[in-house]
Amino acid sequence: MIHHVLVLIRSQLRNEARAGEVATIIIPFGAVALLVIPLAIGIDTDLLARIGPGLFWVVVLLFGVIVTHRQSASVDRPQRDMLTLLGVDPAARFAATTIASTLLLLVFELAVGAITIVLYDPDLTGWGWLAVILPLVAAGLAMIGTLAASLTSGLGGRSALAPLLVAPIAIPILLGAAQATEGLRVGAGILRWVLVLAVVDVLLMLAGVLTARPLEES
Amino acid sequence: MSDWGWVAFAYTIVYGVLIGYVASLVVRTRRVRSEAARR
Amino acid sequence: MTKRTVEIGAFGAMIIAFAVGLAVPPDAVQGDLQRIMYVHVPSAWLAYLAFGITMIGSVVYLATGNLRWDRLAGASAEVGVVFTGLALATGLIWGKPVWGVWWTWDARLVLTAAMFFVYLAYLALRRGVDGADRRAKRSAVFGIVAALQIPVVHFSVVWWRGLHQPPTVLRPDNPQIDPPLLFALLMAVFAFTLAYAALVRRRMALATAEDSLTDAPRPDEQVAGAAVSAPQIGGGRR
Repeated sequence: MIHHVLVLIRSQLRNEARAGEVATIIIPFGAVALLVIPLAIGIDTDLLARIGPGLFWVVVLLFGVIVTHRQSASVDRPQRDMLTLLGVDPAARFAATTIASTLLLLVFELAVGAITIVLYDPDLTGWGWLAVILPLVAAGLAMIGTLAASLTSGLGGRSALAPLLVAPIAIPILLGAAQATEGLRVGAGILRWVLVLAVVDVLLMLAGVLTARPLEES
Repeated sequence: MSDWGWVAFAYTIVYGVLIGYVASLVVRTRRVRSEAARR
Repeated sequence: MTKRTVEIGAFGAMIIAFAVGLAVPPDAVQGDLQRIMYVHVPSAWLAYLAFGITMIGSVVYLATGNLRWDRLAGASAEVGVVFTGLALATGLIWGKPVWGVWWTWDARLVLTAAMFFVYLAYLALRRGVDGADRRAKRSAVFGIVAALQIPVVHFSVVWWRGLHQPPTVLRPDNPQIDPPLLFALLMAVFAFTLAYAALVRRRMALATAEDSLTDAPRPDEQVAGAAVSAPQIGGGRR
């Protein structure tokens, strides 16, 4: 099964490399969002430095859904059936899609993060912790996003349904990430927020594995 | 607005919405029943 | 208990609760604004109960495959979104004269708002899927994901608000509540719960009727496979 997962991950990443949607469309969209916000709320640099990290996480949350919902990740019925006939466990398919999305989301976070640092000039104390926080957030969003994409597959162009499914469920991820970075800035303990992110990820993994088969049948 | 004004506002919304929802259920059920009878 | 009994009981109880809520004396601290609590607290209680029932219905449906549980989940979600909306609206209406603002970032308000959006997402998903079985499976999956995440949402929001001490506000569920006011509150909770039960049963009946309508073949439609007939032997007609 591990072999299936690895093969599927490689094929998904190759598809995305060919399509280039994350690099040429989604990252620029995130960058535009960060650019227009100060146009709307004013360019008080102190204010922007304070809210910069929060806005970064909001962009990651909302635009990350587009990454998990990308065109190169969509698998239609015939392809799924063929994979099942070849003996690929639906849970393996879920794992592969999630891991591929996590990696792409990490790329998205790093790119958008760089733009946030440039435009908003936030305080970067304790930035080493980001090596833990960024992957936890990417994994959580990847799992919710992949589940949402499966739930809305084949429903004929309901463009905002998947983001609507993701956003309220992803609130603890947003809170965990934002409170952790805020905590780093003021020098407070952030372990409880890292714990929130870890618990979310474990619960989502559980949910993903439990629901892989019913989803397959629907 | 007086306190009773706020109370009246709240009660109007609550009972209004509940009555409206009951009415919508009745209408929808009637529509489905007549559609089923037609077939 | 027949549907009719529950509905008449619910209607009667609501009338009594309405009258009692207006008749009891005003609260010593909040005055007449306390009466808003007689519709706010029951709505909030039902918002959470309906959510729980939706979650249970989802799990049992996936375990048993019996569509009745999915219809319960869906019905409870639709009735639940109504009560959640009312809980938020009455909360805002109570908050404006008491706090001076419509909204504060109180943990309970944020949680209720988050739950409202989860409901809306669940209902949007149900509306988007055709076919009772497909809809049931997908809704149940989302229901379970939501059920697993909601406790984490709860704790993370409560921890978040705990860092910023809220201003001293009048607590809506003051434990030192006088007996007649407590009676009005409990009567309202009881009446609203009966109303919830009656509404869910009606909504389930509607769902059953809709499903048998959409999933049944139309009279002008041929059953698939009718074009294939038995082979004729010996050239004669059967």
